[in-house]
Amino acid sequence: MPESLLLTLVGLPFLGAIAAGLLPTGARNAAAALAGAVALICLALVWVAYPTVSAGGVLRAEFAWMPSLGLNLVLRMDGFAWLFAGLVTGIGALVVLYARYYMSSEDPVPRFFAFLLAFMGAMTGLVISGNLVQLAFFWELTSLFSFLLIGYWHHLAAARDGARMALTITATGGLALFAGVLVIGHIVGSYDLDVVLAAGDSIRTHPLYLPALLLVVLGALTKSAQFPFHFWLPHAMAAPTPVSAYLHSATLVKAGVFLLVRLWPVMAGTEAWAWTVGLAGLITLLLGAYIAIFQNDLKGLLAYSTISHLGLITLLLGLKSELALVAAVFHILNHAAFKCSLFMAAGIIDHETGTRDIRRLSGLNRSMPFTARLALVAAAAMAGVPLLNGFLSKEMFFAEALSAGAPVSPLLNILPLAATVASAFSVAYSLRFIHGAFFGPEPVDLPRTPHEPATWMRFPVEILVLACIMVGVLPAATVGPYLNLAVRAVLGADVPAYSLAVWHGFNLPLLMSLIALAGGVALYLILQPQLRSDEEGPPLIRRLEGKRIFDRTMVFLSWRLARRLEGIAGTRRLQPQLRVIVGIALLAGAATAWLRGFGPGNIAPAPVDPVLALLWAVGAAFALGTAWQAKYHRLAAVMLLGGTGLVVCVTFVWFSAPDLALTQLTVEVVTTVLLVLGLRWLPKRFRIVGEGGPEMLTRTRRLRDLAIAIGAGTGLAALSYAVMTRTPPELLARPFLERAYTEGGGTNVVNVILVDFRGFDTLGEIFVVATVALTTYALLRRFRPAPDSVEVPEQQRDQGGAALHGGADRPIADWLLVPFTLTRLLFPVMLIVAVFLLLRGHDLPGGGFSAGMVVAIAILLQYMTGGTEWTEDRLRLRPPLWLGAGLLIAAGTGLAACLFGRPFLTTYFAYAELPVIGKVPTASALIFDIGVFCLVVGATLLMLVALAHQSVRGHRATPRRRALPKTHERMPVAVEREG
Amino acid sequence: MTDWADHLLIAPIVVPMLAGAAMIVAGDRWRRLTVALGLVSTVALLLLAITLLGFAETPIVRVYRLGNWPSLFGIVLVLDRLSAVMLALAAVLGFAAFLFSLGRWHRAGVYFHPLFQFQLMGLNGAFLTGDLFNLFVFFEVLLAASYGMALHGSGVARVRAGLHYIVVNLLASLLFLIGVSVVYGIAGTLNMADLAVRMRDVATEDRGLLEAGLAVLGIAFLVKAAMWPLGFWLPVTYAAASTPAAAILSILSKVGIYAVLRVWLLLFGASAGASAGFGGTWLLVGGLLTIAFGSIAVLATQNLPRLAGASVLISSGTLLAAIGTGRAAVTTGALFYLVSSVLAIGAFFLLIELVERGREVGADVLAVTREAFGTGEEEEEDEEQEVVGVAIPGTVAILGLAFLACALLLAGLPPLSGFLAKFAILAPLLAAGGAVVPTSTWALMAALILSGLATVVAMTRAGINAFWGSPEGRVPRVGLVEIAPVALLLVLCAALTVEAGPVIGYMQAAAQALHEPGDYLQGVLSAPPAGPEGR
Amino acid sequence: MELIVSLGIGALAGSGVWLLLRPRTFQVIVGLSLLSYAVNLFIFSTGGLRSGAAAILTPGEAGSLARYTDPLPQALVLTAIVIGFATTALLLVVMLATRGLTGTDHVDGREHER
Repeated sequence: MPESLLLTLVGLPFLGAIAAGLLPTGARNAAAALAGAVALICLALVWVAYPTVSAGGVLRAEFAWMPSLGLNLVLRMDGFAWLFAGLVTGIGALVVLYARYYMSSEDPVPRFFAFLLAFMGAMTGLVISGNLVQLAFFWELTSLFSFLLIGYWHHLAAARDGARMALTITATGGLALFAGVLVIGHIVGSYDLDVVLAAGDSIRTHPLYLPALLLVVLGALTKSAQFPFHFWLPHAMAAPTPVSAYLHSATLVKAGVFLLVRLWPVMAGTEAWAWTVGLAGLITLLLGAYIAIFQNDLKGLLAYSTISHLGLITLLLGLKSELALVAAVFHILNHAAFKCSLFMAAGIIDHETGTRDIRRLSGLNRSMPFTARLALVAAAAMAGVPLLNGFLSKEMFFAEALSAGAPVSPLLNILPLAATVASAFSVAYSLRFIHGAFFGPEPVDLPRTPHEPATWMRFPVEILVLACIMVGVLPAATVGPYLNLAVRAVLGADVPAYSLAVWHGFNLPLLMSLIALAGGVALYLILQPQLRSDEEGPPLIRRLEGKRIFDRTMVFLSWRLARRLEGIAGTRRLQPQLRVIVGIALLAGAATAWLRGFGPGNIAPAPVDPVLALLWAVGAAFALGTAWQAKYHRLAAVMLLGGTGLVVCVTFVWFSAPDLALTQLTVEVVTTVLLVLGLRWLPKRFRIVGEGGPEMLTRTRRLRDLAIAIGAGTGLAALSYAVMTRTPPELLARPFLERAYTEGGGTNVVNVILVDFRGFDTLGEIFVVATVALTTYALLRRFRPAPDSVEVPEQQRDQGGAALHGGADRPIADWLLVPFTLTRLLFPVMLIVAVFLLLRGHDLPGGGFSAGMVVAIAILLQYMTGGTEWTEDRLRLRPPLWLGAGLLIAAGTGLAACLFGRPFLTTYFAYAELPVIGKVPTASALIFDIGVFCLVVGATLLMLVALAHQSVRGHRATPRRRALPKTHERMPVAVEREG
Repeated sequence: MTDWADHLLIAPIVVPMLAGAAMIVAGDRWRRLTVALGLVSTVALLLLAITLLGFAETPIVRVYRLGNWPSLFGIVLVLDRLSAVMLALAAVLGFAAFLFSLGRWHRAGVYFHPLFQFQLMGLNGAFLTGDLFNLFVFFEVLLAASYGMALHGSGVARVRAGLHYIVVNLLASLLFLIGVSVVYGIAGTLNMADLAVRMRDVATEDRGLLEAGLAVLGIAFLVKAAMWPLGFWLPVTYAAASTPAAAILSILSKVGIYAVLRVWLLLFGASAGASAGFGGTWLLVGGLLTIAFGSIAVLATQNLPRLAGASVLISSGTLLAAIGTGRAAVTTGALFYLVSSVLAIGAFFLLIELVERGREVGADVLAVTREAFGTGEEEEEDEEQEVVGVAIPGTVAILGLAFLACALLLAGLPPLSGFLAKFAILAPLLAAGGAVVPTSTWALMAALILSGLATVVAMTRAGINAFWGSPEGRVPRVGLVEIAPVALLLVLCAALTVEAGPVIGYMQAAAQALHEPGDYLQGVLSAPPAGPEGR
Repeated sequence: MELIVSLGIGALAGSGVWLLLRPRTFQVIVGLSLLSYAVNLFIFSTGGLRSGAAAILTPGEAGSLARYTDPLPQALVLTAIVIGFATTALLLVVMLATRGLTGTDHVDGREHER
């Protein structure tokens, strides 16, 4: 039974919220009815729980959630939780009723009620959660939904800012609370409330007590709008008044003090607690009350008075006395009652007159006498007038202020004084609320002509005011048992003796009350001129406005500071990034090798061969030359690069790796062609006279780069030398060599590896090639040449190629007649070579890739000598088709094995005699290699042809007149303008 | 290995492989067929992923020996819980992004669908392979595809960012190669499991070199994982990339994380002898710095795509730091966090475009999008009309809710899985050890909490500007096919919250297996041949 | 011998890195190509250098490292070469696209005031 009850209590509001959210925008009554029903049901459920709880029992329900981490959904309702649950649901019901009449019919109310219900659910979950993490969970939820409620009228800037501020501050507190909870969990070894509550001593004596305390208290103070976090509450008044009445009197802000009470038994009583909690409470009590007096907005006044009263509660909790705790809990109840009703009254005034400005309001007593009476009583309760509930808890507070034994004496000495002063203030602002609004002359030029509100709108106020009176007159009979219940739940056995009587005889507290009342009235009268004046805010501390400070801080943090830091710690430029990466890689490698150390290799270096040395002298020279020339003489650089490639290629031959040499060679050719094709679109760059040498900054940068480059070179050289001079005992190569022929069926081990042992690599590799080809193609379709490289380069013009753009190919053919003829003759030969390479690949150097490259080169030659149009007229190429087919063949070969129940890519082979070519391994690997072949042909052509076409498209795409002066500096501007 | 079920291991690679190839053959003009193929493939991948998740629950690690060669020198695919989880993530994101792309993006340029398929293929391959060099190959596959995806739609911003992205990753790949070849040169193997075994008894005079090589390899991984200061390319690229690409990219950065998890824990785990725990501190420190930088970036930007990119940094940092602690319990939380954050960020990337659509010109993504279509050729115009679905009622409300959910997930606030994920990392972190808590723990805790705070601030600001700032902003036109994926991802996060217990259990087992790779090694090194050896 | 090759590798890598850090896209591309030469040689060399060893098995024989070069690094290099070729091509095209769209050939797609 407790399971279902508690679960419904938490779950129902959320379900209701979803239902309300789905209602049509106009469904005002439906939404209200739904919300009201949910609230009442929950209230009923709470009441159902009463017998068990009143018997001192605890309803507990546990549902597994993340058991391995000690986080379960634990719902736990003891007396204190019960009291709060009652508060949340009961006042919730009243607020719903009130809101039904307060919200105008145009408002999309279903959303409003949805949020309200969701908030109610979160709040209930918070008060009855029996696991601290889960408490933090619901805690953040309340912040979230309060954010949505405060920002409900988000078309108003005030609402947006208020909501944002509330969320930022309460969420911050929530995160702090979360951290604190984790620390407590670390101390206690469990997050379960029961366990934690049992571990008070170990918590208070633990070295981590202070951090835990600070974090938890931070959460509580932010939530309860305690100094110095109080300033979000007044700005939250931008919310619709029902929200304020609910969140800022009874529920949200009470969550903080709820938490303090909840953890009171295990964390309170230390000096640190008294200082943090007590001091914050004291300051807030005075500050809030003081500011409240000078508020011209009814809700603003109530907001600050709420802050002040919460300060009172916090202060009481800060004192080291059970009686103070009793007073605190009692005041929580009383404050909820009168403050809620006052908010509602303010809302009624606002609703009926159209303004909340005390300076404009007056004399409403005539037009709305009944509301005036209600407000009067409530305000009197707030001021602590005898025979009303506020009086009782205030008396208790005074008694505590006089007698409490907080461990910090300085705090104590000023307590009685502070208490009296604060209470005088509260009398003053209560007086101002009533007198300002209801008495005095007839109001002039109000937006609306005031009149009594609808009966049902006033009903909630009546209930609450009635409660104030009842409690005030017969406390023991009315609230007594519940209060006792709650207190017992918190304090357990050692509940102090306290008496809920109206009359304790003539004693010091009573005297203080009288002083406060008199002082308050006097203060109000004295301040009249000040209050009538137009200047906003309280004197003395008018400058000190929380919101401004908050905004400034946010702006500073998120704009100035963050941006500055991002600028320092990050970059969006490429060169620094590359520098860092190279540098770090170098560092990581070098440092590791250095720190962990390594000995000499196990192979004696072979004697130096002068030829190779010479070869590499040339190679190095080429490399450095490339580096030197790449900026101003690109073509030279490309040639040097090719030279370097050749040297590498020869080295491969030297060390008996013919396959590598072959592939390197073909790739070299194609790459060079690519680069050359690309050169045509790059901006002209030559040393402009006047640019002169690089400046200081550049020079240092260059030096640094040089250092990095040399470092990288040396590092890699050293590493390679070290690795070269040692071989591991157990090389993977052995099995390859052994099985290549016997099981792989090929004598060219490398090729066997590629198509069989590690065919999967090759498969992946060809997909890379395919992907890249597609990407380049897609990209080139969008290609727009830069304006300054549109017109035909003068080299072509010199060749009289002016006719070229027409597409006529003769001139160029004539121009290169000899090579043209040669390549045409060469074409079939190259194809045959390719076939040969492909078929013998398994046994001799070659294979699909190099074969494909050869074919690609052959076709390329036709393009180069014959010209694009000429070639395409004679050679119908469908590169994408080749590409796709190649992939399918390769993948299909692999898949075929699966049909025979063998793993992917398992090969099968036999030998077949072919004329001319000779014995050919018709291994399935060959088909695979054919796939590779097709792909390479397709991909290479796709890229090169697309690139080559640009020269043709380029002229067509852009008329010559758009060509701009060839100074690259001006280019970006021009392009931004057009793009 | 005749059992059909065993072939399921290769399926996640082969399915997109064939689909993509077929799409190319079909050519771009048969778009319907292409789309159908894509749908089949992505759905198939989803189902596969679910099945494999089930497979992986068995204690024995499943091994697939390609070409039927002994796993010592052939290439093997290995399926354990970690790879299963990653596969599932990739499948889900892939499906979502694919659906989304049907809205309009797949027309922003040619060959979108094949590239997309190859992207998935690359991801799955990287998650499955048990061979170091093969891992390199699949990195290249997924990178090549991601280049294509990032550049998809062209336009100045993309090409600019793409250039950086490509150059940085080429450099990283070269580092990768250096690392791998050192490994081969010293340890003489490429098979990860074999390597892990050989690590234990590498001659001391060689160990330094081997570790140096592995360090370089690690840098390559960390560049992909975007650890500070190696990851500046990430926010820019992601912000510029076409939306579906960005969604996929959100798991791409996690490939680096996966590699670290897999290789680092395998080679430098507790059982690694002399090299145990090598570099762990650096992971932790780097992770913390990354979180810090990410939080700063989150605060500093008001542009949604960059905000998303920055939160990718935060999540990467969190994961690296968590892994760096080198404790299985924390790794468990990290895995949970990984799933949650990948889903959330993916959803957020998709959502951003929809949100920005409703806003005035000048909202960056819109501008980029316009660029993509503005410079586009004929092919777009004809279909533009029926591309965008009609604005469904309450679009803004739905978008708002989705945005809220994303914000909560990214900031790690209740009630969604983001909160639980942070808890799952922090709780074991604090639970371990006695009264004295190491500084690193405090640092990580502070980093997680503060980064969450930064995200809250930034997201609130961005959200208020986007939804509350201009209430009369025109309602964005959002197709159902575009909002559905977002919803799917967010619902998954919600499910993750409700079913946190079982999920954590799964992750726990996964983390255990990573930290004590006994089963893994056993499974790989003693994989039985399928029928007669070889042919 | 080893010394020469490793010096060669160093030279390639050094000039590659230098170019990699230059501001012009073309320089970067050339730099990357140089770097990949260096890395290819590096991979190749990890198998140990053997001049005059046979590359092709005689049919029917099970080879051993004594008579043959280590084929695996060669296979790896082949894959690396191919991938390097593809990516270079891509980078080139991207370079052209950047140049076309932004008008500059600076790696950041915009000229910086330095």
